[in-house]
Amino acid sequence: MSWQVFSGTLEQGLMYAIMVLGVYLTFRVLDYADLTVDGSFTLGAAIAARLIFSGQNPWLASGLAFLGGLLAGAFTGVLHTKFKITPLLSGILTMTALYSVNLRIMGRPNIPLLRLRTIFSDVAQLPFMERYGVLVLSLITVLILGHFLYLFLETEIGIALRATGDNELMIRSQGVNTDQMKILGLSLSNGMVAFAGSYVAQNQQFADASMGIGMIIAGLASVIIGEVLIGTTTIRRTILAVIFGAVVYRVIIALVLQLGLAPTDLKLVTSIIVIIALSSPGIKKRIFPRSGSRAGKGVN
Amino acid sequence: MLSVREILKTFNKGTINEKRALNGVSLQLAAGDFVTVIGSNGAGKSTLLNSIAGDFWIDQGEIRIAGCEITGWPQYKRASLVSRVFQDPMRGTAASMTIEENMVMALRRGQSRRLRRAISVKEREYFRGELRKLGLGLEDRLTNKVSLLSGGQRQALTLLMATLREPKLILLDEHTAALDPKTAEKVLDLTCRVAAENQLTTLMITHNLDHALSVGNRTIMMHEGRIILDLREGERANMTINRLFEMFEKASGSHIHNDRMILA
Repeated sequence: MSWQVFSGTLEQGLMYAIMVLGVYLTFRVLDYADLTVDGSFTLGAAIAARLIFSGQNPWLASGLAFLGGLLAGAFTGVLHTKFKITPLLSGILTMTALYSVNLRIMGRPNIPLLRLRTIFSDVAQLPFMERYGVLVLSLITVLILGHFLYLFLETEIGIALRATGDNELMIRSQGVNTDQMKILGLSLSNGMVAFAGSYVAQNQQFADASMGIGMIIAGLASVIIGEVLIGTTTIRRTILAVIFGAVVYRVIIALVLQLGLAPTDLKLVTSIIVIIALSSPGIKKRIFPRSGSRAGKGVN
Repeated sequence: MLSVREILKTFNKGTINEKRALNGVSLQLAAGDFVTVIGSNGAGKSTLLNSIAGDFWIDQGEIRIAGCEITGWPQYKRASLVSRVFQDPMRGTAASMTIEENMVMALRRGQSRRLRRAISVKEREYFRGELRKLGLGLEDRLTNKVSLLSGGQRQALTLLMATLREPKLILLDEHTAALDPKTAEKVLDLTCRVAAENQLTTLMITHNLDHALSVGNRTIMMHEGRIILDLREGERANMTINRLFEMFEKASGSHIHNDRMILA
């Protein structure tokens, strides 16, 4: 792998790591398989691309992408908690609805951002940033978000959120409205996912209505890879693990491409990675050390 | 402290599985009362406790705690007044979280949670002191995940958590039944101690008739969704386990075919 390919892979990995932090929050912390991700990733890209294309400030556009994701996540949360729709179906419903919403926002299936001002073109103008601007900005963003996520999960609200994913009955009997916690977690998660979408769109200089397809599986693969390689003993470690997992996942994808597989085969490869990881008992034991000791299952 | 008036609850209404679980239960508890609840399976004991805690809405009747009418309150809101310990030690704590995290959740029971660091140094010291009183060596394991504890340790922790922020009422649903006999005795001793120390108003379901008479100051027996016996003071002091058995048969007009009803 040439240096250029490698640094490109690293950039991608760090950018997608923002999305993976969101997937970690729902999938692991809340124990909620949220399929909204496929739609909210594109939503973030669509909002940012549309605003940038019409001459808005790219930083503002990225911030609004985050807000859009928050709303999408809240919508899924309301479907699940207030209308009692299953987690899986709530996510699918929002994801499907977002496909139309995203096309409405963009006005067409694809928006090019070539030679337009983006957050990356801004950073590239800073000294020494011409070449590594994307890398540095992505790294800083993911570290800041990861750190905030860590701090958040150690707050009173954060602990209540984690308990909601661990033992809902218990935390409700401690006086926490678990519906609110789920809506909050889903919002934050999809906010980060959409934010990642805005970064990816600005980096690849286009937004496309189908760019979010399979994003949830890529996110899951990254979370699982990171957890297996780094471990999950503490919250801080797990957050670092999933960021690392996102980068490793991109490296694996890049290697597969170098082996001569077509880019269109990537989704298949990703699914196979996740299937292998979830089905092999040895790895499974490391990934799900909690299963079996969860609330309501087994005694002692 | 607790006032339950004429509550009715029917499960699976209108289906072949329709079951009237509570059939006009009324119960008054004074502050500091420790009431043991006995009765055969399906008598409505757990349903009574769960309806007070707010797991579901009752069909009819009124529940008041410390003067507050809470019949229409959602479960999470009732938590400011009621705390509970379940039979299954896994249900009362969050396994993937640490002992101190579990304790701080209990310390904030019924309060609004804020965006600030959850555990202060002072609180950590307080937790350590409270855990030391349990005498289980948990005071040195604050940052251990709860999944590493035994069932008895978890149940003791749950009990401690239930009393950290003094509840108006504590509900114990056979909280020693899933433990081995020795651990069960220990947890029961602990229960009596904390209840006495804090003057807690307590409602405890048990299947152990010996405990039913020896623990607390009042015993009620339920059958088919009603309270059929309410023993206090002298009447309770003179009661023997065998006579309690006979009374059960007489009051309910049926024979006990229940191997869980133990003559301890």
